[in-house]
Amino acid sequence: MNIVVKDASLADTEIKILARDVNVHYGTTQAIHNVDVDISDKMVTALIGPSGCGKSTFLRCLNRMNDTIDSCRITGQILLDNQDIYDREVDPVLLRARVGMVFQKPNPFPKSVYDNVAYGPRIHGLVNSRSDLDNVVEKCLKRAALWREVKDRLHEPGTGLSGGQQQRLCIARAVATAPEVLLMDEPCSALDPIATAQIEELIDELRLNYSVVIVTHSMQQAARVSQNTAFFHLGNLVEYGETTKIFTNPEDQRTQDYITGRFG
Amino acid sequence: MEVGPHIVSAFDKDLVAIQARISEMGGLAEDMLSLAVDAIRSRDVALAEQVIRMDDRLDALELEVEDVAQVTIALRQPMAQDLRDLLAALKIATTLERIGDLSENIARRAIYLAGRKRVRLSSSIVRMGRQTSQQLSEVLNAYIARDTEAARGIWLRDVELDDTYNALFREVVTYMMEDPRTIGLGSQMLFVAKNLERIGDHTTHIAESVYYIVEGEPLGDDRPKGEPLSLEILE
Repeated sequence: MNIVVKDASLADTEIKILARDVNVHYGTTQAIHNVDVDISDKMVTALIGPSGCGKSTFLRCLNRMNDTIDSCRITGQILLDNQDIYDREVDPVLLRARVGMVFQKPNPFPKSVYDNVAYGPRIHGLVNSRSDLDNVVEKCLKRAALWREVKDRLHEPGTGLSGGQQQRLCIARAVATAPEVLLMDEPCSALDPIATAQIEELIDELRLNYSVVIVTHSMQQAARVSQNTAFFHLGNLVEYGETTKIFTNPEDQRTQDYITGRFG
Repeated sequence: MEVGPHIVSAFDKDLVAIQARISEMGGLAEDMLSLAVDAIRSRDVALAEQVIRMDDRLDALELEVEDVAQVTIALRQPMAQDLRDLLAALKIATTLERIGDLSENIARRAIYLAGRKRVRLSSSIVRMGRQTSQQLSEVLNAYIARDTEAARGIWLRDVELDDTYNALFREVVTYMMEDPRTIGLGSQMLFVAKNLERIGDHTTHIAESVYYIVEGEPLGDDRPKGEPLSLEILE
């Protein structure tokens, strides 16, 4: 008899991102060791682990954000829909339109609320007319659960919004390029509990359309929002599996010690 | 898996506090059971009354376990084995409280039996009582040691207690048929035996909790059980 309530299992879902034997070096320091992960489509995957464990580094590999760091060297394979994202043919700018990112601190552009969201569709040429753009902006702000609060102040600066609103604005901006994957690096760590709950509710809705990968220091948050969880420690992927399993009955001693607060 | 100390040491103190209360409850339930059986054997009304009074302390301890567990869950958000430890502690506290109630009930019947004439059936009851006490002690030891093998052994062996109960039932019914004047007394004996059999079942629930704490999965739902009692001897 198995009492674990299965929301979804790794086995019977489509794989969106497939990582194999991924190693990352910063200069002579190795940050990630031989990581293999399958990221499921239309699910939330949480990356947890103590500071410096490599979870953010790994997240940044998924849309080649590490390319901007000169000393960073990545080996192995990361396939998005079976295409190697590190292939010479792949344009990292287009890749990042498909794999959007939301950062720890809300970082709206110093532009209006409207222009923050409209920026991506404009530069990627995703819209043909002003009314198309209006529609996209409205749709994205609605999807980010922000529309009601900003519809009368679309042309005020995005930086004038509250922290929680700014973060939702960044999510609206990220979804405006119609991405397939959304990477979130501790998206709630600068927010109060109400704003955090709103973002978590939003993440649960976003996974209907996107594959979401979230790095979080809050294990309760990982437990609440994700279907699958990966635990990193010292650059190694220690354990990866269904969130319910990881948080109730992990296989590895290190996972158990970490989630029960026995080492940091 | 090994369990080291928490980074937040107050968390460990909470867990120790719960463990200490469960241990006290276990000791109390053991004493109540063996004293209640002693009261039947020695026809000692004062001893039986002592058992009845002990139940108050057991009830109070159960409430304390619930209280500490609730606060710990709210404040510490326990995960994995810590969470299973707490959930199991709540279940075991309830189970031990029930074992106390059943022992108290045996003590009340001991007072009744002490006022009636001595019958040879008492020695069968006392034997079954010792068998039950033994099983309770073993399961409490298995809980303290988190010994899943011992727990599983008790879980499988409870069927022997069921068999003892069935044999005793037949013995009492035969006795009552031979001399209908003993029906009142025999019925009391049957209730005592049934209480002991229920206590045996409760020890298997504790065994299941021990297994769940350590393994994170249930022991199973196909525990061997005694044959359902047939009353063909009455026909």
